[in-house]
Order: sequence, then structure tokens, then C-alpha cells
Amino acid sequence: MLAASPTTLPLFLALTACKGPAVLTGPPPVTDQTRMLLHAVTAELNLIWIYNKVMAGYSGLRPTLAPLLAEHQAHLARLRERVIEPPGKKVPDTVTRRPPLDGTADGALAQLRDAEQAAVGVLLSRLGGASPSLAQLYASIATSEATHVTVLGSRIRQGQAGS
Amino acid sequence: MTTPKEKATPKEKERAAGIAALQGALAAEHAAVYGYGVVGALTTGASRSRAQADWLAHQEARDSLEQMLVKLGATPVAASPAYQLPFPVTGEASAVRLAAALEDGVTQAYLGLVAVTERTLRSFGAQAMQAPAIRSVAWRGTTVAFPGMPTTSANA
Repeated sequence: MLAASPTTLPLFLALTACKGPAVLTGPPPVTDQTRMLLHAVTAELNLIWIYNKVMAGYSGLRPTLAPLLAEHQAHLARLRERVIEPPGKKVPDTVTRRPPLDGTADGALAQLRDAEQAAVGVLLSRLGGASPSLAQLYASIATSEATHVTVLGSRIRQGQAGS
Repeated sequence: MTTPKEKATPKEKERAAGIAALQGALAAEHAAVYGYGVVGALTTGASRSRAQADWLAHQEARDSLEQMLVKLGATPVAASPAYQLPFPVTGEASAVRLAAALEDGVTQAYLGLVAVTERTLRSFGAQAMQAPAIRSVAWRGTTVAFPGMPTTSANA
């Protein structure tokens, strides 16, 4: 059990007497790092939405796209794990961009490839303000998305060669 | 009593961490250059051509890293005379697996650079991860969710 020491108690009382009780303030502001993390969550949600849309529209692309979609779902889960939900702010769970689907399978693949490429650029731009471990997660996800760009590009070339 | 290490300023510590991570990447490139010698010897046709191209890419990366380290006033780590392979490599199939493993090792080493606080090196590491990760996919035929992360296979 804790007991106030006769020597420390007067000191404590002296200190508190000087300042008076602290005023309760609102929740701490969301840090830049948390804001970036929440943006990264939304970006993954947007990518997953496009994948689902393309797979629904072009079922023949499923074998190519399903493994890549599963990786995006893994990215999303890992990013969500890193979020300590800021007071008064929910971890995003809604898609913010719903672009119209291209009218051809090759066009839709190109749309996905371009979305992946853009995501790589955004993630790499977030490295500077991130903690070392978060920077590594962003870099690993960006690298995964860069491999998706090559897979999708290769699939587009195959399609064009076959048509 | 304080040691010289304890007296290092944050800037010096940052520089030392950057050099250590660059040395790790260089060591991985040395290993890849050696390993591709084995891959090239056991592959044929298109796989052999790819192995030769990838071998050259690792030599170029190795040379760049050596130059970066020299510019930072460090002595680049030397290649080992020989390396123990991660598994027996006896034919084309295992050589292809070795190539993918070499690329995974290099990707992981560059990810180490991303943990340093110096922004230029961090950005360099993140960019440099991409080429070996893409080559790994080409050899393995499948992608992974978290290239360079120790849990890559679990997340594949």
C-alpha cells in the first residue's frame, strides 16, 4: 500500500498550491502521422472497391485479380491494426472514390494498374513523417502494389497479344 | 564513466544507422551476385537469360551502394569468398527457387534502410525495394502481400 511520506507530502502540497488544479481540456489533436494512417486506410478501401467492381464486371479476370485483391485486404487489415482510434474520430470504413468502370476488360485492367501506380506514389510520399516501423509498413505495401502494377501490365500485354 | 558511444550526437547516431543499413544492403547484393552465379549455372534458355540480366542488375546495385558508402566516409563491406545456400540447389527448379530467395533477401535488406530516420536514405531504400520484389515475383510466379517483411511467407 502506498503511503504519503512525511517528507514528500509538504513538497507535493507546495507544488499544487502554486498552480491550482489543471483545467480539463478536450481530446488531443489528431497527429499528422495518424492522419496519414487514416488516409492510407481509405486509399486501400478505395482500391478494394475498384477490384471488386472490375471482378464483378469481368468475371474472366477473377483468376488474375483475386490474389491481388486478397493482398489489398491484408494491407487494409494491417493498416487498421496500427490505428489507435483518435477520440471522436472513427477509423474510416467507407469508400471515398467510386470511378466509373471502363467499358472493356483491358481498359478496366489499365484502370486498376493506374490506380495501383498512383497508390505507390502516395505511400512513398508519406514515408518522411512516419515512425520507422510505420514507414516500413508503407514501403512494403507500396512495393507490393508496385508488383501488382507489373502483374496487371503483363496481363494487359497478354490480352493485347491475344486479340 | 562514459564511453565514446555514449557521447555520440543524434546526428552521428543517425549517420551510423544509415551506414549500417547501407552495409546490410550491400552484403545482400554481394550474396545475390554470388547466388546468381549458381542460378545461371543450373538454368537454361529464358531462365538463364533472365538470371544473367538479374545478375548484372545486382552488380550495378552493388557498385552504387559501394559508391554511396565511400561518399559517406565508410569502407564498404567486402563480399565473402563463398556463401552457404539456404537449401540444396541441384537443378533448374531449385535454382529458380534460389533466385526468388535471393531477391527476397535483397528486398528485406533495403527495407532495413527504410527504418533509418534520414529521409534521403529512407526514400532510397523504399524505391530500391521495388526492383528485387518485382524480380522475385517473376521467378516465383506469385506476389506476396508484404515484400521484405519477415512474415512475408505467412502473408503470401
